[in-house]
Amino acid sequence: MSTSVPAIEIEHLQYAYGRAEAVHDMNLRVQSGRCYGLFGRNGAGKTTTMKCLLNLLRPRSGSVRVFGMDPNKQEVEVKRRLAYVPDQVAFYPWMSVRETLDYLASFRANWNRKTEADLIERFRLDPSARADSLSKGQRTQVALIAAVCPETELLILDEPTSGLDPIVRREFIETVIGAYQEGDPGNRTILVSTHLISEFEGLIDEFTIMDAGRNVLTRDADQARDRYQKIRARFAGTPPNLDLSAAMSVRRDGRELELIANGGSADLMKRLEQHHPESLTVEALTLEEIFVAALQP
Amino acid sequence: MRLHINFKSGKPVYLQVVDQIKSMAASGALRPGESLPSIRPLAEDLRLNRNTVAKAYAELESLGVIETVPGKGCFLKTNQSPLRKEVRRKLLIEEIDPLIVQAHHLQVPDEEFIELIQDRIEALAEKRKDFA
Repeated sequence: MSTSVPAIEIEHLQYAYGRAEAVHDMNLRVQSGRCYGLFGRNGAGKTTTMKCLLNLLRPRSGSVRVFGMDPNKQEVEVKRRLAYVPDQVAFYPWMSVRETLDYLASFRANWNRKTEADLIERFRLDPSARADSLSKGQRTQVALIAAVCPETELLILDEPTSGLDPIVRREFIETVIGAYQEGDPGNRTILVSTHLISEFEGLIDEFTIMDAGRNVLTRDADQARDRYQKIRARFAGTPPNLDLSAAMSVRRDGRELELIANGGSADLMKRLEQHHPESLTVEALTLEEIFVAALQP
Repeated sequence: MRLHINFKSGKPVYLQVVDQIKSMAASGALRPGESLPSIRPLAEDLRLNRNTVAKAYAELESLGVIETVPGKGCFLKTNQSPLRKEVRRKLLIEEIDPLIVQAHHLQVPDEEFIELIQDRIEALAEKRKDFA
């Protein structure tokens, strides 16, 4: 596959349910080989955006391309090269785990049996268990196994860990993503939407924050943590009146100042240092804190 | 091998992996010829993207800290840096200069700063003895 064609390219996407606009002038580009996070609150437009990629919804305007193709015109070709796990997974209740996986495999040209066996074992799933006896976490695990085994170039996950209890959540999403990437290191692309950002902190290469149907912020994860920093300064007396307009936000609390910088933190530190604070510390914001900061009015 | 990733440090994640393995090699916590965990289990253990760990290992390999033996995995290299002496010095200077600036801002006098470096060299040497 040519590396110059992005796996996903969305331009000026607009979608409305009746009169209710869900996505407005959305732009998104996912290079192949990336693990890309789509962050947003419930109702931000993440699921709608994903459904437009899968031709489950037809955009009102704008363009959507997957591997450079229009998912409406080349639906089969696009779907052959991707796997999708919706936020609500449903299986035929009478089928066992084994039958469910065989059934899903029958739609695919390729199915990695070794990966399947490996993940069934790691998740301690009982292949003979009926689908309607599975917990929500186990159903999600089966759906993720079914998404990884066809070894497609693109994996689209819509809120894969929401609604699961913390014990189940822990350590299973990285197992799935690790198994998926291992098949063709550097070339497998993942688009994952979530509002549980901290769980994906180390997995995400690049992200977009969506709010009210719009793209609020797109950044490389490392660059974002380098740019968004929290600076705390404590002074002997009342903090001096400084020009701190370069900061995104400034909070005064007694003798302390807390700044959120969006770039330019070295310069802000220098300004504060000139007033000889008792202590001066700086730390990067986590992706979750960046998310909160970006959505603050 | 115990690594700790701190997302609040603002340092690129792959570089944190590189630096920690380098310092383990320097302290003797990892010995020449010793094997490193393979990429996928380490990525899962640290809850990182596989590609991030792969990037760190590639960097360590290009620095001559580790080597990959096909079919066997990654190992700490026996002989160290393949870089020329001037290049090595230049790389080190890039690390030292910001420290000198930092020492100045923290009002640590030059003699004390040099003493501190001497102390740290000795502390690391102690640690290396413990591992040996």
